[in-house]
Amino acid sequence: MEFGWNEDEVRYRDRIRKVLDESLPSDWNEIATHGPGSKPQTEFSKSFCKILAKEGMLIPHWPSAFGGEDGKPWDHFILGEEIWAAGEPRGPQYMNVNWIGPVMMRYATPEQQNRYLPDIVAGNVIWCQGFSEPSAGSDLASLQTRAEKVDGGYVVNGAKVWTSYAGLADHCFLLARTGAGKSGIVILLVPMTSKGIQVKEIDALIGEGDIHELFFDDVFVPEENRLGAEGQAWEIISYALQNERIGIPRYAFARRILNRAIAKLKADGRFDDPVIKDRAGRVLAKCEAARMMVYRVVDERAKGAPPSAFGNLARFSVVQADHAVSDFMLEYMPEGMLGDDPMQQAHHQRAIAAGIASGAAEIQLNLAARRFLDLPSE
Amino acid sequence: MNFEPDDNQAAILDGLEQLITAQKIEPPKHPTFVAFSETLDAELAASGFLDIAREEGFSPLDAALIVERIARLPRCAEVAASALIGPLFPIDALQRPVAVLRGSPLGAARFLPQARSLIVVEDENVSLISVTPDRVVPVESLFAYPYGRLASVEGLAVQRFSRDMVAAVLRRWRLSMAVEAAGLMQAALDTVLEHVKTRKQFGRALGSFQAVQHRLATAASTTNATKWLALRAAWSDEEADCAMAATYAQDAIPLFTYDLHQFCGAMGLTLEFPLHLWTYRLKALLGELGGSGGQARAAADLTWADAA
Repeated sequence: MEFGWNEDEVRYRDRIRKVLDESLPSDWNEIATHGPGSKPQTEFSKSFCKILAKEGMLIPHWPSAFGGEDGKPWDHFILGEEIWAAGEPRGPQYMNVNWIGPVMMRYATPEQQNRYLPDIVAGNVIWCQGFSEPSAGSDLASLQTRAEKVDGGYVVNGAKVWTSYAGLADHCFLLARTGAGKSGIVILLVPMTSKGIQVKEIDALIGEGDIHELFFDDVFVPEENRLGAEGQAWEIISYALQNERIGIPRYAFARRILNRAIAKLKADGRFDDPVIKDRAGRVLAKCEAARMMVYRVVDERAKGAPPSAFGNLARFSVVQADHAVSDFMLEYMPEGMLGDDPMQQAHHQRAIAAGIASGAAEIQLNLAARRFLDLPSE
Repeated sequence: MNFEPDDNQAAILDGLEQLITAQKIEPPKHPTFVAFSETLDAELAASGFLDIAREEGFSPLDAALIVERIARLPRCAEVAASALIGPLFPIDALQRPVAVLRGSPLGAARFLPQARSLIVVEDENVSLISVTPDRVVPVESLFAYPYGRLASVEGLAVQRFSRDMVAAVLRRWRLSMAVEAAGLMQAALDTVLEHVKTRKQFGRALGSFQAVQHRLATAASTTNATKWLALRAAWSDEEADCAMAATYAQDAIPLFTYDLHQFCGAMGLTLEFPLHLWTYRLKALLGELGGSGGQARAAADLTWADAA
């Protein structure tokens, strides 16, 4: 066992920090206070991801055949940690490089790969994820948006909701139903400029421009825009969610925010309060516990092991850590939510979504109970 | 980063497994609060497992793996202090089994009825007291460790160690608590999982109820987080990491033990059901070194010493 970084990894982390230091503008902290799906962050991501691409830090983990550098899983994770800790300047494009691109590399036709991947590689495209519906949140398989087969493609009717990034997205990774059950779901790659799509922003606690309603009214999608075969969608979604579930190293941002909070408490002479110090120590332990749980999952991946249910346990510990940091600051530094510290509010807005986005925490517990603990179903 | 045992560690764990198998460790046949195994304790000492952190080419992490594995057994032996705190002292200065106390040497300590050495951590120094069982008054308690206290220290040989040893012993004590807690949690969880898979109420296995599943999945997350945080601390052997690992473990113990007993109902309140052999060791660890608050404040101080 070995829980440290080798020299190459240390150098790589230093290089990332240097690039971030040099390329993030002086007003980045102000931009980052808006959510990843906000207009300021989305627009910023288009210039910033080009810099990352030039530095070889946008898709280093991708295979060289697709423009990547065949990077090691640990390097990919170090990159994610540093970028998330900096407030995720890739904005919505983190999704492109973490799972939309990898899913296409695995399941798309060569023609689709040629059509979609270059824009992702260039850091110049925004995707949204058309998964959740008014009656299909955690129970994603119950989605009702219909894709009716017609000559040359599909006609889509239905509604999606709580869709991140839709307001400024170029494409939607859409799930729709052609028949009953999980085998009756199809994935369509839909241009957001298609006739019949209406996007409506939803005011939310998690920041402006972050979540939307999407309406599909007789939207025609050519057959060549279907990803994978009919009946294969659930396999593809499961693959995508495995990447998504621990894809965001939330504990890294949480730990950075906690460090900032402690520095401020010290400056204000409040850190010697034994109650505050006690709580800070517990929150710190939760952050580091989450880090080790996620590292354990990355270690599995780095060794080429198939995804295991340990990822569900790890995701739960990440949610606990993110909430613990947020709650600590709400209790002892409420002034941060009252205009004193927009970054604190930005963390809070991310933390309250941690246990909901990409599979609710309770779904993680369901999966862990069945697959990790082998507990019986009803 | 590598979460799998290396060849040396795999060999150590394999050898340990052989020793455990040969010992045929079973839960006690008769109801008992404490299940101390003299033969296991003696075999572990004789085999050299407990001195591994003193050996060239081995580390506290190797010792921690041994502590975690032995903690999972239904019978206890004095392992954590010998394997992790003992190597801080000259080999000829310390005899095992080892007991550890903070503050007064007259407090009740785990394994003191068996101990040959008592380490007492005071604010300014560390005392190493040579003890014999005839000087120890056994203390009966619900805790599943043998406890005892010295009637007095008069006439006992005492060696004093400098202030540097205070931090070192506290560091390893915290580490040993965290590592041992990880093993205890795993065994307790395994016991309850077996129970809820077979025990039926309302016509179905208890473990099929979502209310039970979520809390057991949470317990599994806690158990694994305790383990990996503790093993990282053993690897780095740094004060802040050790304090963090102990904080996480102690912070988790109340809810963890409550839930596990809860799912065993009245059965879990009896001594014939072995759950207490692990949970009442966890509850004993909960109160050591000032409890989770003591460790949390130490972790905060050590981690953010230079924060400004």
